[in-house]
Amino acid sequence: MSSKALLGIVAAALLLVLPLLGVDDYYLHLLIMGGIFFLLSAGMNLLLAAGQLNLGHTAFFGIGAYASGLLSLRFDLSPVFTLPAAALVSGLVGWLLGMVTLRLRGAYFVLVTIGFAEVIRLVATNWMDLTQGPLGLAGVPPFNLGAERFALAGKRDYYYLMVLLAGATLWVTARLLRSRVGRALRAVRENESLAESSGISAYHHTMLAMVVSCLLAGAAGGFYAHYITFLSPELFGFQNTVTMAVMVVAGGQGTVLGPAVGALVFTFVPELLRMAAFYRMLLYGVILLLVVMFMPQGLVFYLRRLLASGTPAPGEPTSDGAAFEAGAAAPAPDPALSLRDVTVRFGGLAAVEGLDLDLARGEILALIGPNGAGKSTAFNVVTGFQPPDAGRVHFVGADITAEPPYRIAERGLVRMFQRTSLFPDAAVLDNVLTACHRLARTGLLDVLLMTRLHRIEEQRLEDRARAILAFVGLSHKGDELARSLSCGEQRLLGLAIALAPAPSVLLLDEPAAGLNAVETGRLMRLIEGIRARGLSILLVEHDMKLVMGVCDRVVVLNYGVKIAEGTPAEIQRHAEVIRAYLGSGDALARP
Amino acid sequence: MLAELVQHVVNGLILGGGYALMGMGLTLIFGIMRVVNFAHGELFMLGAFFLYTLFSLGGVNFFAACLLAVAGVALVGAIVERLILRRLRDQPIEIPMLAMVALSVIFQNAAILLWDPSPKTVRHPFSPVPLTFGPIHVVAIRVFAGAVAVALIVGAHLFIQRTRLGRAMRATFQDTDMARLTGVDVDRIYMFTFGFGAALAGASGALLGAVFWVYPAMGDLAALKSFAVVIMGGLGNFPGAIVGGLLLGVAESLGAGYISSGYKDAIGFVLIILLLVWRPQGLFGKKGLSR
Repeated sequence: MSSKALLGIVAAALLLVLPLLGVDDYYLHLLIMGGIFFLLSAGMNLLLAAGQLNLGHTAFFGIGAYASGLLSLRFDLSPVFTLPAAALVSGLVGWLLGMVTLRLRGAYFVLVTIGFAEVIRLVATNWMDLTQGPLGLAGVPPFNLGAERFALAGKRDYYYLMVLLAGATLWVTARLLRSRVGRALRAVRENESLAESSGISAYHHTMLAMVVSCLLAGAAGGFYAHYITFLSPELFGFQNTVTMAVMVVAGGQGTVLGPAVGALVFTFVPELLRMAAFYRMLLYGVILLLVVMFMPQGLVFYLRRLLASGTPAPGEPTSDGAAFEAGAAAPAPDPALSLRDVTVRFGGLAAVEGLDLDLARGEILALIGPNGAGKSTAFNVVTGFQPPDAGRVHFVGADITAEPPYRIAERGLVRMFQRTSLFPDAAVLDNVLTACHRLARTGLLDVLLMTRLHRIEEQRLEDRARAILAFVGLSHKGDELARSLSCGEQRLLGLAIALAPAPSVLLLDEPAAGLNAVETGRLMRLIEGIRARGLSILLVEHDMKLVMGVCDRVVVLNYGVKIAEGTPAEIQRHAEVIRAYLGSGDALARP
Repeated sequence: MLAELVQHVVNGLILGGGYALMGMGLTLIFGIMRVVNFAHGELFMLGAFFLYTLFSLGGVNFFAACLLAVAGVALVGAIVERLILRRLRDQPIEIPMLAMVALSVIFQNAAILLWDPSPKTVRHPFSPVPLTFGPIHVVAIRVFAGAVAVALIVGAHLFIQRTRLGRAMRATFQDTDMARLTGVDVDRIYMFTFGFGAALAGASGALLGAVFWVYPAMGDLAALKSFAVVIMGGLGNFPGAIVGGLLLGVAESLGAGYISSGYKDAIGFVLIILLLVWRPQGLFGKKGLSR
């Protein structure tokens, strides 16, 4: 057994026997409140993994509390039913808010969620008939197990109920964060375009995180309602959300245990500060500021570093690279990809004008032309990032015009981006593993319950990721952060990421940009190796050695219009191409 | 009927002038520094308290006290940038955001300790008798506040469009690295930007503080309002903040007059949620609301 598992068991056992050791009720109360804030911050942390900070999170806590309180008061229902109902109500509201706000990113999302909480606070304050406004809702019944005879009696009972809820929360968030769901969320945060083009829907994953986090907040609210038995609009106050956010960041955002550590520490710290009397909140603010400024990675990071010092990094099994299968090349009609009359205008300017293009199965086709010729725009149209003003795109027979990028990727059409085609703050192996997303077949329930099927699948995907890394020659770098790779290695990783979803058609946007001659030569062999596995490749490239060396056919764009098409040899002699782009033949001779 | 409507609109515009000043500061800071300034409300509060301290307690001339208060807040802003934000520049967006939240807790509680939490009035030198323009009645301090707000809005706009420093700020706004390459001292621009944004918030606080009340928590609502303003106008969009601020002021004034004063403070955010459904890129924004 690992020392980590042992530590976990000891901690769990300690939590379970704590009330039996005669711990004062005051401390049990603090632990219970810490538990409530753990449920809240764990949810916030989940959504923040995707880069979305919900600073209106306390609204869902309050909604859950009022839902459970009102249901038990008005309809005389047992809290056993109203608590789950509270979670559902909050989850539902979260889903509705998500539909409106999850298109927003960064600061916009933050500010709109704050606004949402403020609106809800005002409703709770002003809707006297429902909530009794600022007077608050008093006399909420204590928690019971179905009938009043089975009411929870003391702090100890509530403590065990909270241990149950917190344990469930820990399990759910751990399963989500440590599976492909977590990888997908982090991918959205780090490089949303790349995530989408690897078949990961940013919207669906952030929505999942949003709904789960609101369910947890609703449950926390339901618990709070029956534990404290008094509710007021204060529950919706911004200060609560700030507390949660501080717990997440101070504990360690993105980690599973961070919110738990943060919740416990920042439940006890304000209590310790009571000694400071008048200066309490001022000191609290100073502590917050210092924590944010000097340990932005969170307590868990520093604890882990303390524990991990001296432990060697695990060795990595090597694989031979022949093992990964290529795209499930459907018995498709020729051509694999076709564009008909595609036009994109920006204002009055036509970036692409009436473009027809066919990519045959197993073909390597280059799209070349001067800067601004519309090559990247054409790529964006094909991969769904830019809806065309006119024209259609067909992929193995199906019309994919203006489908969202992740769906196009799911079909097996994957691109590599021009510059940052990786997830910089993730390990190299995780980069490729993340991009294997679309190959996963198990459902959310498998992920949550960690079924055998899911474990086998995770292992299979990891094997695949290692095989692809071996194929591009990055096996030895699997544990390094992607951002620490050299420029050439980053391009190779980008290629590996593009191969991971098992595409049948690969789009490469200037794969050789920034590579030296040796690296370019290696890339050319890789491209040929990829074609040998049955893939079709469309590439945009300025490196004529690569274009003329590996491509079967070349299409030349100028000012958005196709001016030539043919074999490399034909293109090199084409008078208009030479005038518009290649210049005199000498340029080709240069390396 | 009509007179009442016009009265609401005039009141709303004066309030909106204050919101616009707040929003301009916030949007400027975000646009250039990518920082959501959660201490903006406290800078607003400090502007009001500096005025109160200098004028009501210190006996400084009202207009001089206004100027000094704004300068004081600008200085506080510049110090905050130098000591806190400069160290957090490479962190993800939520880190400086939370640092500013912490700072707002510090400022607000320091204000409670320094000035106690009870609301105070600034006994400004203007006559309490309303000026009458036909059927419209406005007290003189409000006319003063409105006029100063307009002057500051126009002044800030001209400053950013016409001066060398303003041009450097716009360059930094568009592309920080490129600005640095062309010789703009980005550190100095950041410090100045935060100080300037703080000054706008402080001016708004001093003006609205003189019209209404001065108390340590006055920044909470004001900050929320200015968030609404900048989302409506588009984060980083200067003219958007001006229009958004005036619009919000008028909408609130009309809402309080005709709908319900209890929900007055929700109007901004309800508008935003409706706006998002109808036009996700903001009133003036172009497509793609990222970062």
